[in-house]
Amino acid sequence: MTDIDLAGPTRAAIMHDTIHFVLRIRFIVQTLLQYLFLLALPVHLAGMAAAESPIDFNRDVRPILTKNCTTCHGGVMRAGGVSFLYREDVLGEGDSGLPVAVPGHPEKSEMIARIMTNEDAVRMPPPDHHPDPLADEKIEILTRWISEGAEWMEHWAFQPPEKPDLPEISDPSWPAAPLDHFILARLDGEDLAPSSEAGPAEWLRRATFDLTGLPPTLEEYDAFTAAHARDPRRAREEVADRLLASPAFGKRWATMWLDLARYSDTFGFEKDPHRDIWPYRDWVVDAFNADMPYDDFTVRQIAGDLLDDPDPRDLIATAFHRNTQNNTEGGTDDEEYRMEAVIDRTNTTWTAWNAMTIGCVQCHDHPYDPIPHKAYFEFLAFFNNTEDVDIDSDFPRTKVAADPELQAEAVKLEQALVSYRNEINDQARETAVSLDGWSLFRPTEAFITPDTGRLDQRDDGDILSSGTTPDSSVFTLRGPAADIAAIKLEILPLNDDPAHWDERGAVVTNFQAHFVSPEGERREIRVREVVADYITGPFDPQDTLRGNARGFGEFPMMKAPRTAWFVPEEPAVPQPGETLELTLGHGARCNGNHQNTVLRRFRVETTADPRLAEALADPERAGAWQHHASLQSRYNSIDGLTIPVMRERPEAATRETRVFIRGNRTTLDEVVEPNIPEIFGRPEQAESRLDMARWLTSEKNPTSARVLANRLWAEMFGIGIVETLGDFGSSGALPSHPELLDFLAIRLREHHQWHIKPFLREIVLSSTYRQSNRIPANLLEIDPHNRLLARGPRQRLTAEMVRDQGLALSGLMHPELGGPPVFPPQPDGVWNSVYSGATWNISEGPDRFRRAIYTYHKRTAGHPGLLTFDAPDRDLCTEQRQTTNTPLQALVTLNDPAHIEFAAAFATRMADAGDDPETRLVHGYRMLTLRPPEPEILGILVDLHSDALADYRAAPDEAAALADDGTPERAALILVANTLLNSDHALNR
Amino acid sequence: MLDPATQFHRDRVQHVTRRHFLGGSAMSLAAVWLNSLTGASAARIARDSSTPLAPAAPHFAPKAKRVVYLHMAGAPSQLELFDYKPELKKLDGKPCPQEYLEGRQFAFIQGVPEMLGSLYPFHRAGESGQWISDRMPHFEEVIDECCFIKSMWSDQFNHGPAQLLLHTGNALPGSPSAGAWTTYGLGSENQNLPGFIVLTSGGKNPDGGKALWGAGYLPSVYQGVQCRSQGDPVLYLGNPDGIPRDMRRRSLDALNSLNEHISNDVGDPETLTRISQYEMAFRMQIHASDAFDISKENEAVHGAYGTSPGRESFANNCLLARRLAERGVRFIQLFDWGWDSHGTDDNTCLVRGFADKCREIDRPIAALIKDLKQRGLLEDTLVIWSGEFGRTPMRENRGGLEMRNIGRDHSPSAYTIWMAGGGVKPGFTLGETDPVGFDAIRDKVSAHDFHATLLALLGYDHHQFTYPFQGVAQRLSNITQPSRVVRDIFA
Repeated sequence: MTDIDLAGPTRAAIMHDTIHFVLRIRFIVQTLLQYLFLLALPVHLAGMAAAESPIDFNRDVRPILTKNCTTCHGGVMRAGGVSFLYREDVLGEGDSGLPVAVPGHPEKSEMIARIMTNEDAVRMPPPDHHPDPLADEKIEILTRWISEGAEWMEHWAFQPPEKPDLPEISDPSWPAAPLDHFILARLDGEDLAPSSEAGPAEWLRRATFDLTGLPPTLEEYDAFTAAHARDPRRAREEVADRLLASPAFGKRWATMWLDLARYSDTFGFEKDPHRDIWPYRDWVVDAFNADMPYDDFTVRQIAGDLLDDPDPRDLIATAFHRNTQNNTEGGTDDEEYRMEAVIDRTNTTWTAWNAMTIGCVQCHDHPYDPIPHKAYFEFLAFFNNTEDVDIDSDFPRTKVAADPELQAEAVKLEQALVSYRNEINDQARETAVSLDGWSLFRPTEAFITPDTGRLDQRDDGDILSSGTTPDSSVFTLRGPAADIAAIKLEILPLNDDPAHWDERGAVVTNFQAHFVSPEGERREIRVREVVADYITGPFDPQDTLRGNARGFGEFPMMKAPRTAWFVPEEPAVPQPGETLELTLGHGARCNGNHQNTVLRRFRVETTADPRLAEALADPERAGAWQHHASLQSRYNSIDGLTIPVMRERPEAATRETRVFIRGNRTTLDEVVEPNIPEIFGRPEQAESRLDMARWLTSEKNPTSARVLANRLWAEMFGIGIVETLGDFGSSGALPSHPELLDFLAIRLREHHQWHIKPFLREIVLSSTYRQSNRIPANLLEIDPHNRLLARGPRQRLTAEMVRDQGLALSGLMHPELGGPPVFPPQPDGVWNSVYSGATWNISEGPDRFRRAIYTYHKRTAGHPGLLTFDAPDRDLCTEQRQTTNTPLQALVTLNDPAHIEFAAAFATRMADAGDDPETRLVHGYRMLTLRPPEPEILGILVDLHSDALADYRAAPDEAAALADDGTPERAALILVANTLLNSDHALNR
Repeated sequence: MLDPATQFHRDRVQHVTRRHFLGGSAMSLAAVWLNSLTGASAARIARDSSTPLAPAAPHFAPKAKRVVYLHMAGAPSQLELFDYKPELKKLDGKPCPQEYLEGRQFAFIQGVPEMLGSLYPFHRAGESGQWISDRMPHFEEVIDECCFIKSMWSDQFNHGPAQLLLHTGNALPGSPSAGAWTTYGLGSENQNLPGFIVLTSGGKNPDGGKALWGAGYLPSVYQGVQCRSQGDPVLYLGNPDGIPRDMRRRSLDALNSLNEHISNDVGDPETLTRISQYEMAFRMQIHASDAFDISKENEAVHGAYGTSPGRESFANNCLLARRLAERGVRFIQLFDWGWDSHGTDDNTCLVRGFADKCREIDRPIAALIKDLKQRGLLEDTLVIWSGEFGRTPMRENRGGLEMRNIGRDHSPSAYTIWMAGGGVKPGFTLGETDPVGFDAIRDKVSAHDFHATLLALLGYDHHQFTYPFQGVAQRLSNITQPSRVVRDIFA
């Protein structure tokens, strides 16, 4: 058996005893090669091979360390006490006591000794996992690096971008925008020249798709060419401005963001039920159309709920982080999935804004980058205090008014209701906590109905329930009666250690008190009000008096001891011989609606201190309650739907955040406070989610401007300056044009003040973007992925564009903005989620023909036409789509009834051009490509059409099946239309 | 004359070779430098984007060349099928001892449930004498081919996450499935069919949804293709009404001419790839339709499997699995829904619905294994049967109340799977559970161990078979939890 290695096919071939021989040969060959390269190529390109250029740590050294060393000597593993993540470690000693690296003295540096040794037992990297020793040129670099002083630089992405000067270029007339200087300078260095300019049709198709997600119309093309003939530059600018102002712009660019936001119309997981959250999708579309600056865009989505005076739509924006999945499967642990959502928010924020893969820090220090384990939880703490708890209702939610005019009022009312309710409670609580004369209630009789469970009181007065206690259990407590002006109920966790407060919730949903005479006559002590220590979660303490399945306590999980005061309408005085009877009913179910939340440990005290009862009887308080009720009824009267949003828990209910030991939420370590990882430039104030949101796009943060500039660049050019859009860390790709990336980042943030439209306008008008995308063979060889941009971009249409082009060319597209998701045709049986009756009822009328962004998105069963073209399922933040080229795609665009419908309507438009078949074919070709067909192509189309026509004439049944009018003429034209819409031209931009 | 795909491939190879030859040493430091920029890509398997499913050799000689995975979604009771527990029978009807309840999490059981002995009698079967209940009389006939693992365990007690864990190594959606890893590594032996095919029965998709056969962070071409036993086996496979096959051929010929023209003009290699993919789609129309047409099987075969063409059933899917295995499909994944025996109604009652489900799978599984063996396919086809976790030795008391029907709750701490063929020891049992079948206690096998073992059978060292994602060399066997190859089950 041979262990074939994937990374280095030569490895297996190297026999142990021939290593030295091979090494010698290799050394000679390499030396020769280096020499040749140095002769043949500009010095700076040869980079590290050139003896005279000093070592650049990030360019030359760090990649060697990351690839060969940090897996074992990094943040996770510090084998032998050695790590290459921090300079102090590299300049320190390993467990052996020997210095790892001594600046200026490679001969004293253990790392060099260990790398260069021939002894397998001590050689680094260890021969058992790395059969090849480190390549000689890499050893040479490390040695020179230490000789030159072992200068350390933080990874490039952690250093704030600096505005570079425009580089010297060979042809000052080429650039149309500053960015072109950087591209050309790089091409100069490679001895390459830019491609010639694309023709008007090529540029117009590319720009129109890139900016609006749609193909240009023939009319637009004709207008453009006419204007182009007069003044090409002005003509292009007019087109760019028109496209940027089009409402279609937002629909195209929102898709990019919705992938990051993991936007979906369903919850995810097993049943994958429907979620109303589409107003968030519309918010994103509107934000792009309004060119909302990215800093505002950021703050509103991350912390719009915490702004002092939020815009009515800012709460909708916070649904960004409510796109997390919600597990409604029976019996799931709501706290587990709440935590998964919080972790997802943390990871998504880092991926989307900072292109940092922080997910691994959940369990341990970052393996490659200087982000400690604790920092993960400090950042997570920003997100750990929202009200949502993975319950099926998706609580908390905000109202989106059907009438947009009423949105501001709805939001105001919603906030007023919460704060006013808290005020009412807080006022009473102040009195409640000052009450005296409490005496512990010691029941003489305590039982549970049904009798499968039991109650026991401990000496300290706490009452514990045990046995089987169904969710409808009723606790009955009978004992000595006393004068009662307030009853205090404390609901307690079983464990006294806060690190173990992770048990299921405990909620009393029905509270009753009676005096009972010896004869069994019951006299109700009517409760006026329930005062709580604080109000949080989906229930109101007053629910305890309303006989529903809601009430007071901790729901769905026990996160803290809770106290409520039940206050009678009148101070209650027992008759002689009467006993006090309390009944505590239950009914709230948690964990996917299947587990009870029966009290497990609680205590009851009573007092005759009348102050709270008096305070609650104050007519002013009755007025306050009335006012609250009127706010509520006004709020209820506003028609609309509700969507899940972010809402902070009240201060008294703040959740503690603790470090998870090895990422396990059930083994908790120290308590941490919210903070930003040090290497990312901590702001002066970093206490709240809002502070964090502001930091994200501040100058302190070294990455966010680069990340967005790179993402926008990648959308336009098909490849990022940093190819890994979601990973700017040490394990991600290095920037192909580092100065350009910095330039663009600062340009976007400073010059354009985070406005995306003018940034894209510069790109679309640049000489780089305007190059022809034809690929000469030599360029394909040198630069297959077009990283150097010696040619224009050529990208396959996205999944959405494939559909939208069909809609546009066929003339079927319904251009309406926004609204609930729609159901274009899809095959039967695609939706088959367990325990779910949801069905795909195909939309009729205009909704059948809306752009792909409005197609219903179901996480567990996405629309197959879109998935096949690489649309993501959006379970998690998708930072980069992969572009594939598969036979299943061919089946979609050839056979999907939706695409046949497009072809038929496209054929109708072709036929509108005239009666002559050739006219029709030319017109169809022009609608698709903007240009008249070359004779050879026209020949192909004419032949196909005439052959098909003959076939259909011979087979009228087939014609009737394809063409709505049943004629062979129309059937043949539909077949040609279907063929055109499948051409490589149609599938690319 | 060569078929278009072969011709295309040959042209391409010649093209590449010529380029290398002509390019010579001038093939540029720039290209080398560009490659070095993406350090992360170094670990990827080099795959030509035009032939992403071309067969490829693994690390070492594989024992199994293809996989047929039968997943009983909902988690069948090990205690009613394979894990014989006489001690549990003695405790039947008694309240569950506290030691089994402390520190446990249940999906539905509340308070103190009753113990529940197996509802069915057990006996030893076959020459290997392995224990089995009376629910699978046909399967018994092939029990000597099977290798049981009675000590599987999970840390997930809900269906979706547990299924995801078992198929992707991660309880949350987003990681590639075992089938995706397999086709990524090995490609497929049949370029006219998808390399990874998923078939479902029981009327529902499994709880974990399509993420169970997703490609995760691998290129999406490696995701499982869910095929259907009614209508088009592959979505959009059939030509539209009014475009018969010869007409489609005509249109593809024209399309190829158009695309060749574009290719000559633009020079984008993706255009050539597209031509070949359209041709493969055209071939797939014939080959998939043929592969899925079980009416071509004779009466004896239908009798053995209990199949009837034209409807969705587990039996039909078993027969399809054999037809696909024969055709060189790499990974054939079946999900049969309906095994969630909580006892909330007749369908989930261990006495009624469960017994029906056993009858549905008994005959077809036996037929599948015999059929594969008879055709010489079993030796290099790994057949796997599993649920996603086990079921409790206690009777479920949903809501804390006694239920009318008899059922068991989810139990992740022990379950039974079996494998056959493809390099596993026939007639062998690994592992053991405690006297009531609640916990695996000997030779415990986690999902990660299972994946490491599966890859070893397919010829891969699971440590070395990686893909770079989020800064880490990711692997099926998981990078944070321990995993080991269970060599004890290798033949």
